[in-house]
Amino acid sequence: MSDAATGARALSGRRVLELADERGVYCGKLLADMGADVIKIEKPGGDATRNIAPFWEDRPHPDRSLFFLYTNTSKRGVTLDITSVEGKGLFRRLAETADMVLETFPPGFLEDLGLGYRDLHELNSRLVLSSITDFGQTGPYRSFKSSEIVAAALGGSMYVTGEGEDPPVKLAGSQAHMMASTYAAVSSMIALYSSSISGKGQHVDISVEEATVSVSHICGVGKWLDDGIIPRRRGTGLFASVPSGAYPCSDGMVYLMINRPLHWQALARWINEVTGNQEVLDPMFEGPSSTRQPYRDLLDLFISELTSRFTVDEIYHEGQRRHIAFTPVNSAAAVARDAHLVARDYFVEVEHPGTGRFEYPGAPYRHSATPWHIARPAPGVGEHNEELYGVELGVPAEQLRSLEEAGVI
Amino acid sequence: MAAERQALANLRVVEFAAALAGPWIGRIMACCGAEVIRVESKKRPDVVRGYVPPWAPEMGVQPQLSPWFTDWNAGKRFVALDLTRPEAVEIARRLVAACDVVIENYSAGVMDKLGLGYSELRGVKPDIVMISTSGYGDRGPHHRYITWGPNIEALSGLSKLSGFPERECTMTQYAYPDTLSALHGLFAVMCALDHRSRTGEGQHISLSQTEATIAVIGDVMMEYLANGREPKSLGNRSLHAAPHGCYRCRGGDRWCAIAVFSDTEWESFCDVLGHREWRTDPRFSTLSSRLENVEVLDELIGRWTVGRTDSEVMFALQEAGIAAGVVQNTEDQLHRDRQLAERRFFEEVPHLKKGTVIAAGIPLGLTATPGRSGCAGAAVGQDNEYVFSELLGMAPEEIRRAIDVGAIENSDDR
Repeated sequence: MSDAATGARALSGRRVLELADERGVYCGKLLADMGADVIKIEKPGGDATRNIAPFWEDRPHPDRSLFFLYTNTSKRGVTLDITSVEGKGLFRRLAETADMVLETFPPGFLEDLGLGYRDLHELNSRLVLSSITDFGQTGPYRSFKSSEIVAAALGGSMYVTGEGEDPPVKLAGSQAHMMASTYAAVSSMIALYSSSISGKGQHVDISVEEATVSVSHICGVGKWLDDGIIPRRRGTGLFASVPSGAYPCSDGMVYLMINRPLHWQALARWINEVTGNQEVLDPMFEGPSSTRQPYRDLLDLFISELTSRFTVDEIYHEGQRRHIAFTPVNSAAAVARDAHLVARDYFVEVEHPGTGRFEYPGAPYRHSATPWHIARPAPGVGEHNEELYGVELGVPAEQLRSLEEAGVI
Repeated sequence: MAAERQALANLRVVEFAAALAGPWIGRIMACCGAEVIRVESKKRPDVVRGYVPPWAPEMGVQPQLSPWFTDWNAGKRFVALDLTRPEAVEIARRLVAACDVVIENYSAGVMDKLGLGYSELRGVKPDIVMISTSGYGDRGPHHRYITWGPNIEALSGLSKLSGFPERECTMTQYAYPDTLSALHGLFAVMCALDHRSRTGEGQHISLSQTEATIAVIGDVMMEYLANGREPKSLGNRSLHAAPHGCYRCRGGDRWCAIAVFSDTEWESFCDVLGHREWRTDPRFSTLSSRLENVEVLDELIGRWTVGRTDSEVMFALQEAGIAAGVVQNTEDQLHRDRQLAERRFFEEVPHLKKGTVIAAGIPLGLTATPGRSGCAGAAVGQDNEYVFSELLGMAPEEIRRAIDVGAIENSDDR
């Protein structure tokens, strides 16, 4: 077994109850992969996130959604109808043992069930309740409908993504939800830190819209109030960096960004060596990006003459050898085969008992003492009902059966 | 009610960092009450300080005025040390000994070469939590390669997997890997602090921005890893919903995003658009038929949206219970978004040179310990006096000597 499989866990001893849809499951994963005991509570029959396509080997099944598998690693899974009387009772008992509850219900839903922050605080004053909603717990839009693309729109990321002549476009996957989840993970840990000092938990109110505005703030209010230019999408180059953008190679594309005078000089020399271009060495192009701003199109031509003579790999490695920030525009396949990532053992194989194994994206960070680790694959529907309710809470087998028959679990 | 103590009020952080991905970690911690001290040198200024105000270019470079410097550094303390001097390294070590967390994003190997690597700092402060963030992480064949945030969008697969199918590289204008990495980095630090509070043990964290970025598109990557197939770029479309897209509205570059999931939503949608007949139209009556005929569906919807303003479209659909939202730019967010206004998302931040400035808030949503951005616009070495004399207890003599040998640099501001 590797060190990662046997080492100490940063969050061991922390217990999290997760009642989360696609907006919050990545938060639970972040906590679980660092060692927290994350108990995923699904409605009886399983959550709708199990139906998100595509599926492993294209076989639709509640345990084969790739989104579900990825975002629920290291968690235990139980089912519970928290709207039923018995369900509430079990949930309260679990909440007494937990450090944190993560939920993505509409604002007010848990309160109406008698399970709002105040109710939970009475049971367990150290508890942190982290709520992720589309717009937050307050405000005129709090009951509005949203989705990933609507959050990307209101959050401002779409307006500044893609080509100038194309409509605004969203990023791959679900970045608004991922950022709301990441914010929730950060805030929850800060709240837990505070709680362990003061003895008092708190309600964490995460808005998907605000999380999206926040991570795209380079294009935001500070810059605009200063220069009066509203940032919009403008292709692959960034306005403030000249040159920057994607350039063609013989077998694909590379991305280049120049921000420092020395980096420009190294690039100009290389272009000159390979293409014989003398003009590129002109001192009028030297200095910070702002001096090259008027010549962006011309310089793009010069650079394309260089890059198109080589393969992506040649430009990438020779460029980097010359201290020029070239990187490949990678496909998923290229990322999976990337020599650097492979040498770092980034991808980790996950065994799905009885069904097979394949590699998952690995640790976003490497802790020297408490390594990130996938402790188990995503749970099946109610996989840990017996273990949690029977063994840990001591609910008699008889009663478990009747709860099952009543549709509570 | 008495003011609550801030969540991270008992933490002290020292930052050897520049640009965005490292400094934003400290910025958020400062917002939560941590004392965050940035070490800088005038000899190697942060690129963000190389700022010429666009409204007065004749002023030249103004290291305190950059709005980005505010966004990523408000509320921190600033000291000036020339770390190429051994005396300065000694002072930096004393500073680390008084801290809980070290944040660094210098080029690969620089901290070690300066004598400020984790193994050294652990000797000075055994339970220190140190995070190093870089494009590639601290080991592996390419760990010395240089990157900026946008490079990572390409390297991680994000820019190829995103956008319309006919586009090979779709980029954001906001260096997304920088901010997403900072959030992952802060989470990693808080986990390490949780472990420290239980065990007394510190540790080193190395964050590769490439790996953090792959993590947030991990679900998309799984299509290749599990099924051996390159994921399709979907643009604004969805496998689960139609209509699902971004529709042109009245005016230039104005758009509204719309997503219709359930059959009930689809029926209300037809009513709002005044096309009840679409409900029974065989091309559109079920989700699978709508997905099959999505081109013509999108075109028909576009004919309706283009005659209306983006807000009219959004509010008409929201009233009918359908997810819709204006594609907002930064001006819309500041002046038109009633939700952000009501929640006071944008903050007025005190600024040493400008009085106050407006900045995006840090939406942590900590209702009992809400946090607040401290002062922005500090000069290099602004807080030399406080840090060296009050915090480290250096005698005036000692400070003078350090200045004389060039270890401590004088502040430009006084």
